[in-house]
This record gives sequence, C-alpha cells and structure tokens, in this order.
Amino acid sequence: MDFFSLLQESLPMLLQGMGLTLQLSAVSLFFAMIIGIVASLMGMSKNIVLRAINKALVAVVRGTPLLVQAFFIYFGITGLLGIRITAFLAGTIALSLNAGGYLSEIFRGGIQAVDPGQREAARSLGLSAGQTTWRIIIPQAIRICIPSVVNQWCITIKDTSIISVIGLAELTNAAESIIARTYRSFETWLMVGAMYFIIIWLLTLLARFVEKKVSLDE
Amino acid sequence: MSNSNTPKVQIRDLHKSFGNNEVLKGIDCDIQAGEVVCVIGPSGSGKSTFLRCINCLEEPTQGTVRVDGNLMDEKAKNIDELREDVGMVFQHFNLFPHLSVMENLTIAPVLRKKMEKDEAVKVGMDLLERVGLADKADAMPNSLSGGQKQRVAIARALAMRPGLMLFDEPTSALDPEMVGEVLDVMRQLAKEGMTMVIVTHEMGFARQVSDRVLFIDQGVIAEDGTPAEVFDNPTHERTKSFLNKVLEA
Repeated sequence: MDFFSLLQESLPMLLQGMGLTLQLSAVSLFFAMIIGIVASLMGMSKNIVLRAINKALVAVVRGTPLLVQAFFIYFGITGLLGIRITAFLAGTIALSLNAGGYLSEIFRGGIQAVDPGQREAARSLGLSAGQTTWRIIIPQAIRICIPSVVNQWCITIKDTSIISVIGLAELTNAAESIIARTYRSFETWLMVGAMYFIIIWLLTLLARFVEKKVSLDE
Repeated sequence: MSNSNTPKVQIRDLHKSFGNNEVLKGIDCDIQAGEVVCVIGPSGSGKSTFLRCINCLEEPTQGTVRVDGNLMDEKAKNIDELREDVGMVFQHFNLFPHLSVMENLTIAPVLRKKMEKDEAVKVGMDLLERVGLADKADAMPNSLSGGQKQRVAIARALAMRPGLMLFDEPTSALDPEMVGEVLDVMRQLAKEGMTMVIVTHEMGFARQVSDRVLFIDQGVIAEDGTPAEVFDNPTHERTKSFLNKVLEA
C-alpha cells in the first residue's frame, strides 16, 4: 500500500479523532479557564480556607502526572463510588482540573504583575476597591497573561493525547488503531504529528494577532 | 463638619512604621485652604510617606489625619468619597495605560460622580486645554513624553474637582527639558488658589511658589516657615547642611 492509499484509507478515522481532540480541548479549556479564574481569586483571598484550597489544587496538579490523574478519576474514583462515567467526561475533568491549576497561577501572576501604582492612582481618584480591580487592574492583567495562557492552551491541547489511555478515540487513540491494523507506524505518526502541529500553529497565529491588537506599546 | 475655621488638613501626632522602621515619628501640622506648601528634605526622610498619609494611601500607625475635619481612615465607609476631594499626582505618573488620555480623565467622574459621559468629556477637554494637550485626547498614554504624561496626570486629578492636590515629586522622573512645562501648570494652579502640598526637590520652584516650606528630616518636621525663613535663615544645623548640599549642586 503506497502512502496515498494509506492516507486515503486512514484519513476519515484520523479526522474523526481530531474532531474529538478538538471537542475535548475546547470543553476542557472552557472549564479550565473558569476553574483558573475562581482558583486564582481564591488564592488571593483574605480567607485562609480559600487560599488553602487553591494551594492544594496547584500542589496536586503540579505534583502528579496527568496520566495518573486521568486513571485516578476514570478508574479510581468511579470504582470507589461504584459509578460509571464516560471516558470523555473523565478526560474533561482531568484536563480541566490540570489546566485550571496551572492557569490559576498564571492569572495570579498577571494580577500581581500590574504596577502597584495603578491601584494607588485609582484609589486616589476615589475609585472603590472593586472598581479599581475590574476597571484598572484586570484589563492590564489580561494583557500580561495572554502569552502564558496561550502557552498553557497549547500544552493542554497536546495533553489530550494522554486521555487516549482510558480508551477515548481521540486523535492519538485513532492512530494506534490504524497502526494495529496496517503496521504503518512511521507514516501514521507523521500524519498525526502534522495534525497536532497544524492545530497549535493556527492557535498561535490567532494568539499573536490578538496580542498585537490589544498591545499598549506604540 | 467643615466650616471656614477648620483647616483644610489637620495632622495630629502622626506616626508611621514599616515593620521595625519608624519613618514618621510624630508629626503635627495644619494646612489652611488655599495654602501652597512645599515639603523638602533628604531622601528617606519620610516626606513621601507624610504625603501618602494625607489621602490614606498609607495608614497611620498612630495619630490622625483629617481633611476638612473628616478622619481619613481606610476602614471608614466614606473613605472613597473623601479621597474624591484629594487629588494626587505621582512621581511615575501612573496613568492608566489601557485607557486613552480622555478616558483617563473621564473614568473617575463617570464612575464616582455619576457624570454623563458627554459632560465628562467636555470637562476633560477644558482641562486638557488648560494643560496644553487638547490635541492628545485620543492618544494612548504610552505614546506621550514624560512631561505630557505628567500634565495629563494633573488634569486627571483635577477632573474630580478636588479641594486639595498632593504632588509626590512630580518632576523627579522627568528629563530636565520637560520639568518646566509641568512646573508651569502647577504654578498656574497655585495662582488660581488651589490648596497644594508638594513634595519636591525643585528648590527654586519651592522658594518661588510656596507660601510655606516644611523641612522634614528623620521623620519629624524640623523646619516650618515661609520660603524666606527656611531658605535664608534656617534654624537647624541639619537644614543648613541639607540646603548647602542641594543648592550648590
């Protein structure tokens, strides 16, 4: 079988896998952003319990491999509770918590990187603490965060491949199925690599455009 | 609470420590409405901390600051309203870089005074004309020179129609050729009767514009008098040696 026949034969399955990869990425990153924002606010809260929850999330996410987190959620917790969830749901939970933990650190760093003089200037004009945070600090923190957030998105999109181990037929899992049938490892992984690369490349282009658009430098 | 006899600013037994470092060691001072007061002194003497206590950007460790008779206290419910009446200009301008020049001027009046946007823009335009920057209304702060930024910062503070203006070394971060344009705006403001407290190293400006000069050293007011008294007849050895150092330069 030449390369083009292989491509023709396996492309539908790979595209289907890529579709699932994109779905898993989008849903997970959506929840990861929410978790990240909430957790970063908790991390900067005056309440010691909220701060502790944030610290625990970040420590666990950082301290254990995503592979272990996925297994733990899909087999460990479901086994303990005697319930069954889909691989997609388990993957979403694992990736959301994982990326959410990292994003919360990125958001906290961004907020703390805003010049303290900005808060002082806003308060000296009479703006309340809330008005200062939402009108002055957050808009600047977002700009500071963009490169690191996009970086985390890229990592998480690629990390969806790890979810293949719990049987979700996303792109990497699809590749394994194709190779099991065709024994064409080199060409298949080359195609799969190219597909991941294109997704990340397009995202990076978009990010660069947005970054330029909101830049404050002349 | 305020009447014509109440000083604009009333400071009693003001102490401020950062950790174990006591920066202000008991300051008593009244500033009358319409007075222009320049605060001078060696770096690290506590002049900026003194100024920042007036609008409660720093909370006193001990003692009280009153503006128009109202206690400036971070925990007070009305602290935001009290700050609306005290404009502040910073050494590093602290313009909001994500907002245009005009938005810098209108954000506080719109959010705090519930002013209509159109009205706030009109007021903002008048102020920009006063500081000679009417053509920069739509510019972003990062495209301005240091002197222009500081003039916008003064206009931004004035947009809240404050009764008192605080200046924290407003020309110290400027290139020498831009100092004049900022001092001119401040001179004009003084002439119009604004109550001003100015921490500065510009001795010529202090002598020429102020009604009163405070020399702060080691956390206390060491000298308090007219420019002539403080510059020409300082009573303390410390004042003399400080003035010798800065004036011969």
